[in-house]
Amino acid sequence: MRNVIVATILLSGVATAAEPTPVVPTFVEETKSSGISSTYKGEWVYMVGGGVATFDCNGDGYADMILSGGSNTAKFYRNTSKRGGSLKFKEQASGLELDKVIGTYPLDIDSDGIMDVVLLRVGENVVMRGKGNCKFENANKTWAFDGGDAWSTSFAATWEKGANWPTLAIGNYIDRKQEISPWGSCTDNWLHRPADQKFAPPVALKPSFCALSMLFTDWNKSGTPSLRVSNDREYYEGGQEQLWHIDAGKPPALYTEAEGWKPLKIWGMGIASNDLDGDGYPEYFLTSMADHKLQTLAAAPAATFKDIAFAKGVTVHRPTTGTDLRPSTGWHAQFEDVNNDGLEDLFVAKGNVDKMPDFAAKDPNNLLLQGADGKFVDVASKAGVASTYSSRGAAVVDFNNDGLLDLVVVNRNEKAQIWRNTSTNLGHWLELKLQQPATNRDGIGAWIEVKKGDKIMHREITSGGGHASGENGWWHFGLGDMTKTEARVIWPDGQIGEWQNVDGNKYYILERDKPAKIWVQK
Amino acid sequence: MRAFVKLLAIVIVSGLALTSASAATPQGVFTNWYKLALELVRHTATYTPPVASRSFAYMSIAAFEATASGPSSLKSLNDQIQGLPLAPKREAGKTYNEAVVMHSTMQTMVENLFSNTGPTGHHAMDAFSKKMASDVTLGAKKDVVKRSEKFGRKIADSILKWSMDDGGAVIQNMGFPTTYTLTKGPAHWVPTNTIGLQQNPLLPSWGKNRTFAMPDGATCKLPSPPDYSEDKNSEFYKQANEVVEAKKNLTPEQKAIAKFWSDDAMLTVTPPGHWISIAMQILEKQNADMDKTAEVLTKLSIAEADAFIGCWNGKFQYDLLRPITYIRRVMDPKWEPLLNTPPFPEYPSGHSTQSAAAALVMTEAFGDNFAFTDDTGTKDGLKPRSFKSFSAAAEEAGISRLYGGIHYRAAIENGLAQGRCIGAFATALKTRK
Repeated sequence: MRNVIVATILLSGVATAAEPTPVVPTFVEETKSSGISSTYKGEWVYMVGGGVATFDCNGDGYADMILSGGSNTAKFYRNTSKRGGSLKFKEQASGLELDKVIGTYPLDIDSDGIMDVVLLRVGENVVMRGKGNCKFENANKTWAFDGGDAWSTSFAATWEKGANWPTLAIGNYIDRKQEISPWGSCTDNWLHRPADQKFAPPVALKPSFCALSMLFTDWNKSGTPSLRVSNDREYYEGGQEQLWHIDAGKPPALYTEAEGWKPLKIWGMGIASNDLDGDGYPEYFLTSMADHKLQTLAAAPAATFKDIAFAKGVTVHRPTTGTDLRPSTGWHAQFEDVNNDGLEDLFVAKGNVDKMPDFAAKDPNNLLLQGADGKFVDVASKAGVASTYSSRGAAVVDFNNDGLLDLVVVNRNEKAQIWRNTSTNLGHWLELKLQQPATNRDGIGAWIEVKKGDKIMHREITSGGGHASGENGWWHFGLGDMTKTEARVIWPDGQIGEWQNVDGNKYYILERDKPAKIWVQK
Repeated sequence: MRAFVKLLAIVIVSGLALTSASAATPQGVFTNWYKLALELVRHTATYTPPVASRSFAYMSIAAFEATASGPSSLKSLNDQIQGLPLAPKREAGKTYNEAVVMHSTMQTMVENLFSNTGPTGHHAMDAFSKKMASDVTLGAKKDVVKRSEKFGRKIADSILKWSMDDGGAVIQNMGFPTTYTLTKGPAHWVPTNTIGLQQNPLLPSWGKNRTFAMPDGATCKLPSPPDYSEDKNSEFYKQANEVVEAKKNLTPEQKAIAKFWSDDAMLTVTPPGHWISIAMQILEKQNADMDKTAEVLTKLSIAEADAFIGCWNGKFQYDLLRPITYIRRVMDPKWEPLLNTPPFPEYPSGHSTQSAAAALVMTEAFGDNFAFTDDTGTKDGLKPRSFKSFSAAAEEAGISRLYGGIHYRAAIENGLAQGRCIGAFATALKTRK
């Protein structure tokens, strides 16, 4: 048995005992007491998906949420938690309660300051306009949004240069009507570009390779985000991961090998991004079956990425706890600093696709803490979040506004679970919200920079990625021992805001051309 | 029938468009199930090339025995293949529907051998099977259908039972052992990538599996590879340098050859599936009958399965390091091959061994200097390639591994020779009454 343990540790490349040990946060599951009771249910067409969107729709500063239901209807929950208290939610009718919902993403599409929601479905996708006070209405017709009829599984949004309306990318899976030979039947992904404060008919992103995650990201800090697409190799023929040029006024174009792009074929299921090494460029974590990938830009300005998952200890190719050591299956991934030490950590939702005997049936979710040496170590079991349900989408969010990040996870054919971060020994923190006038009020595409000693933490504000799940609200930074620091915003149009003094353990609104404003809870 | 033809028209494996093979004929049923199996190979996580070769062999033998048990010119192989049990007998004087027998046999085989595929594979198998069953039984007498289905299942069950103790029935961790002790010394294999799952080599015990037509995995012995040396004048260094020079001077044609035969696991039909695909393209073009179809695919798949056992026996006997390891250590730390290096020892080249074995069977079946065009990789964007003979194709498959930077010349040349030795056991099988 000793050999088995040793081999497992070596294979996963985790940090050795000689490295500084990050503080392990404590989570307590509060699913039953929280009022959340939602199951993402369904057979074949719901084997992927099952997401959650978190956003504030009643202006109280707390993150509300909508959970996908699959063949069940989606459920909306208003956050009724108190600061630092137990997590409490109240289910209420919102208009979002549609069936066949696979994924959910928040986005203030019409820039009216009220959050809208995009529902990805098996069948017609729907853009839901926020009417205020957590009420929504179908705006497909009003906004000329063609919801199509596909098996939609991924989403990303951006505001192209000069646009006053967002561009939405929607990724589609296989042709669900091809039951006998679904392989090779990946249907077209769509790019919904603006047209006079509405959406133009969608443009097909050809070729499409069964996208399970998409993300607009400015990978090279050019000022124009590109579209990363993570594709499921199970179904494509001649496919690979993709990076698209999405330049205003031009047709989309794939990055080519001549531009440095290297083919990668994985069971791509989720994208998470963060600048882990502080060089200003994001790293990308890609979930898959067995080995996961962590890519870093290898040779800027070329679009060449190098896999550093093994070196950083995040291949997470098999469970790191329990007795089921068969290969893992990863879905949602999200970088956040769950122990407030100033180093981004990584949550990965895991779960067997559907009784696949070659993959772990009890596949615990990972909570990978980053150490000072840049390597990660899985503490999910110790932290109390190693659920072995068949997890899919998730959100790592501060639900009770205490500066500690909580967690909600959507499980397939099991109830969604929610955990409160109850740690008492963590570092300081800072939570920021962006605001700009007129269009793109939440600053999608901006970069927030926060000083940490002689280093700078860079965070790109994105809409999309993960697995069927998205967040919009407070952007969280761990500060470690720092009680104060400076922060600034590089706005989507490239304007660089002033460095502003901010205190730790506080919420600030960073509004364009205005001083940072402390937000105080009512 | 029109509905069934439409159904089958969408089950098209690389380069294998359905032609005139009627699904109501046993050979139509057989080849269409085979095509579904080729799809499942690229979509089932355990299906690396050795595993695929094993399943092809059992599927083919089941179809062969089902055919030989009926009104056919084929004779059972039970006395020629190791441990193959006598096929169950048909009821004397009773009528059987050969298409139904074949459907039942292949359904049982495919559903069992691919029971570990994903939800979409199961979804496809269920839908395909239901539609196939409904069409082959159309207009047939109920008692004949029932008897034929039962007999087909019995044949398959007998083959599956026999398959269970051959050493290859259980594949864990996608074929990569969770514990393994690397051989010490600079000459030996070490992991060649940073994929966590692949830090131990694929299927280290496969060479000990029970063989089909040849006596055992060590029957076709290999000469030793050149002695490991870092001396620039040594044969080992020269062969490694040949790989470096080949990569440096690759022509577009050589790149195309490397990619054409790359046949990566999980992304293609694999090397044994590639040769099955070639055979099926030719059989369809010739409107081959059931006897010929079963004979060719059975001998071919046996040759390939034995080739993988023999080749793996050699791989873990010599446990030689890959070019990427040697070249980066001794010659150029930043060297990259054209193809991904497979995660197991280098010597001999598996594609060379199994291609030479396959070519021998194909030459016996279709003749010397049989010119053909292979479009197996079309749907993955690879252009068809034409060959003047099967041995020419096998030699190209072999040298493709040097162009791809994953094998030295010795592994290719000696692999081809080993394949010819192994293939001869398959061609020696007496298949006709």
